[in-house]
Order: sequence, then C-alpha cells, then structure tokens
Amino acid sequence: MFLIFKRLWQVNWAEQWQYRANLLMYLLYWLVSPIIYLAVWTSIAGVKGEVNGFTANDFVTYYMVLLICDQITSNIIIHTFAYKIQDGSLSGELVKPIHPMLTNALVNNIAFKMLTIMGLIPIWIILFFLFKPDFSGVTLSGVLLSIPAMVLGFVIGYLLSAAITSLAFWTTRVYSIHEFYFAIILLFSGQFVPLPLMPKVIQDIAQFLPFQLFMYYPIQLILGRLSAEQIIQGYIMAGVWLVISILFFNWVWREGVKRFSAVGA
Amino acid sequence: MQTLKLLSAFFKMNVQMSLAYRADTVVNILLNLMWLGWELLSLNIIFSNTETLGGWGLGELIALLGVFRLVNTLMIALIWPNTEKFNQSIRDGSMDYTILQPVNSMFLVTFSRITVWRFWDLILAVVLIVVGVNMSTATTTPLQILTFILLAITGMIIIYSLWIVLIALTFWFVKFDNNVTILQALLDAGRYPATVYPVWLRIIVTFIIPIAVATTIPLQALRGELEMTQILTFILVSIVSFFLASRIWRAGLKQYSGASS
Repeated sequence: MFLIFKRLWQVNWAEQWQYRANLLMYLLYWLVSPIIYLAVWTSIAGVKGEVNGFTANDFVTYYMVLLICDQITSNIIIHTFAYKIQDGSLSGELVKPIHPMLTNALVNNIAFKMLTIMGLIPIWIILFFLFKPDFSGVTLSGVLLSIPAMVLGFVIGYLLSAAITSLAFWTTRVYSIHEFYFAIILLFSGQFVPLPLMPKVIQDIAQFLPFQLFMYYPIQLILGRLSAEQIIQGYIMAGVWLVISILFFNWVWREGVKRFSAVGA
Repeated sequence: MQTLKLLSAFFKMNVQMSLAYRADTVVNILLNLMWLGWELLSLNIIFSNTETLGGWGLGELIALLGVFRLVNTLMIALIWPNTEKFNQSIRDGSMDYTILQPVNSMFLVTFSRITVWRFWDLILAVVLIVVGVNMSTATTTPLQILTFILLAITGMIIIYSLWIVLIALTFWFVKFDNNVTILQALLDAGRYPATVYPVWLRIIVTFIIPIAVATTIPLQALRGELEMTQILTFILVSIVSFFLASRIWRAGLKQYSGASS
C-alpha cells in the first residue's frame, strides 16, 4: 500500500509540476478576495477604532492566517474528477483494485496543495511586510492545537466535495450544485468575515455545521482567541461530522458506481 | 450599418444556441439570484457594523454593485466565451477562416459569441444603480448622472482594450491560454470603493489592471468628486487605449502564421 501511494505521489507531483504557470494564476485568483475583505474591514476598524471587539490588527491577522488555512483545508476534486464521470474515462480507473477517489485523486489534490503552498510562502512574506500584522497573540499550543483541526477540516471537506462530485453519476448539472455548495461555505465558514460579525442566526447555525472547520475554527485556534469550552465543542463537532461525511460519501459513491455500470459506459 | 447587421446576426445565432440549453438557463438565473442575495447580505453585514465605508454610504455601495455587475456581465457574457473560442482557433488554426472574412477581424473575434441570457443581468445592474442612487442621501445633478454614464462607458472601453491586448499576445505566445485569468482574478476588487484599499492595491487596480477605472471612478463622478480635467483625462485615455489596442491587434495578426507551420 505504501508503495502504491509513493508511486501515485511521483506521478501526480510530476503532473502538477507541469502546470506550475497555471497554478500561479490560480493562486492569484484565489488570493484577491481575502485581501479585499482585509482592506475593507481594516478600513472600517481604522475609522471606528474597533468593530464589535475586533481591532484593525485583529482583522489583518485573521485574514493573513485565513490565506494559509484555506489553502490547507480546501480541495479541487470537482475540477479534476467530475468530468471523468461525465465522459466515461472513469471506467479505466474503476477496474484498478484501489479506490479512485481516496487514492489517486486524493494524492493529486495533496500534490496540488503542496505546490500552491510553495507559491504562497513568498507572497505571504511580501504581504506580511505590506500589512505588518502583530502576531503576539499566537502561542505554540494554539498552533499545535490547530494542526489536527486543519487535518480534520481537510478530510471532512474532501469527503463532502467528493460526495458532491459523485452526484455527476446522476446529473450533468453537478457544477451548478457545487456553486451552491460554495455559497454555503462562504456563508458559514467565516471566509467573508469572522463569524461573530455575522448575523446571529448564521452564527447559531454555523456552530453545528462542519464549514467553520475549514477556516474560522483553525484560524481562531492559531490566534488563541477561543475559550477551552469552545475548543472542546469544536473538536466534538469535528468528530461528529467526520463520521457523517464518511457515511455520506460511502453511500453516494456506492450508489453512484452502481448506476455508472448500469449505464454501461 | 453592416456592423449592426452582423451584431444582430450574432445575437440571433447565440439565442438559438442557448435555446438548446433551456434548463441550464433557468438554473443559471437562479444561481445568479443567489449571488445577488449574498452580495446584498454582505453589504448588510458591513453596514450593520459601520455607517460609512471610506465615506460611502449603503446606497452608494449598492449603486457600485450595479456598476460592478455591468463589468462582470461584460466579462462573462462576452470576454470569456469569445476568448475560449479564440484560443481554440489559434491552437487548431481555424483562425484562418476568421481572417478570410471581409469584416474587421477584431470585431469578429470579440463579438461572435454572446451569452444571451446574461442580458437580464444588465437589467438587474441598472435596477441596482437606480435604487442605489435614490437611496443615497447626497443630491445628484443631471450633469453628474451624465458624467457617470459617460465614465462607465469609457471604463468598459478601457477594459475591452486591455482584453484585446491580452488575447493579441496569444499571436506571439501560442501557449498563453491563461490570457484573461488575470482580469478575472482582480475583478472582485471592483465590488468596493478602491479608496479603501492600501496604496499598492489601488495602484494595481487603477493603472495595471484598471478594474477600478470602470467601477469606482464612475461612482466618484456621480458623487461629484471628480474635476473636469480628470473626466477629460479618462475619456482621452479610453480613446488612446482603444487605438493602441487595435494597433497591437493588427501587429499580432501579421505575426499569425496558422497552426500547421
């Protein structure tokens, strides 16, 4: 098994490396909105002194950490896999004795992630000198606590995206469904603004959804802004959602593959 | 006259193409409404925490959202589909047939594909602008409205010219098929007044990828913040950039040698 993963890694790394120019474009594309939100909120906090307890520096550190967390927890499986189901080229992968989504596609996503993070590091350092954030609130224990949270966030996010991608077995409109899912993430993950600034209803719902694990929860862990109670609650929700997403993905995939063979592609 | 005839022919052709995907159109319109809902909610979140953003009120940001959506429509309805077709035609050599037509090739390449259903987005954008202007407490004179419309058009022309330059580069670098991603990447910067951005970002979105010229600047004209010389400068810049773009396009065409050679 280890050998299989090693070989998959070599193949996927080489494949992603080929597209490094595209990757840089992707990185630029994806960097812009957090930087704009940062500018908007620091401008508001700069005028008023603070927004709901958040100072200008709180916003700068929040979005600077968000750039890293988002890169670690997000995935691109919809773009690299859905078309294989639609054009039938999945058949070739289905006959292999390994799960296409949990081995090859997963390694491909991680290779992509490694490259974008490599590209992000110099940009992040430049942004650091442009915005001069004060990271004095960050503690080692906070960073260590955030690592399992980010891994959980990535795994849950990957399984949910994989399940949505698998809807391509049923419908050609899977990209529209994904766009809707993307909006849900925007609403509940703390991507637009730290969750305490969202309307009360959204905050209350967000607590019970997995999406804050992608951004808000690990960011706040790193910045040391959560109470012990909130940390425990967050990890319990992560555990619950891990189980739900595993069951959900397995079910969608199993039913989907059945349909796929029934079509006889 | 011939241009108008061609445009209407393109339009009819594109209507027919999109009629084949009726259900898709409905889904796309629903998604579009969803994003409008999100945009209004995000403005509501901002203004529940502050009264002004860089001196601009809620009404002015709604109007800005309308102008942003105009640029966004230009991007999605015209720039993306035509660029896709153009890049393809450079790679497989079908550009040959386009050049052989007895019409301006630049016009042909940039207007042959139109995502027709996006026209309803234009209506939505105009509604947002009208509602926003009415909500704003500042009084606007007819002259300000006129300069606003004028500068919105010049901003679009500048973005159109930049697009021409970007795709013309493909004549020299065939593999440059990321040509408009950079435009799309910075587009989001048009949602908020560029005056709240840090200086380096403001320079990028004003001078390098001039998204703000088509969004923030017209709104500033509406607010009466621009002087006559500035307005004239923007008009002049748009004329010069269009002229330069068509020169670069022609130089690029000379460079083109088909896909087989």
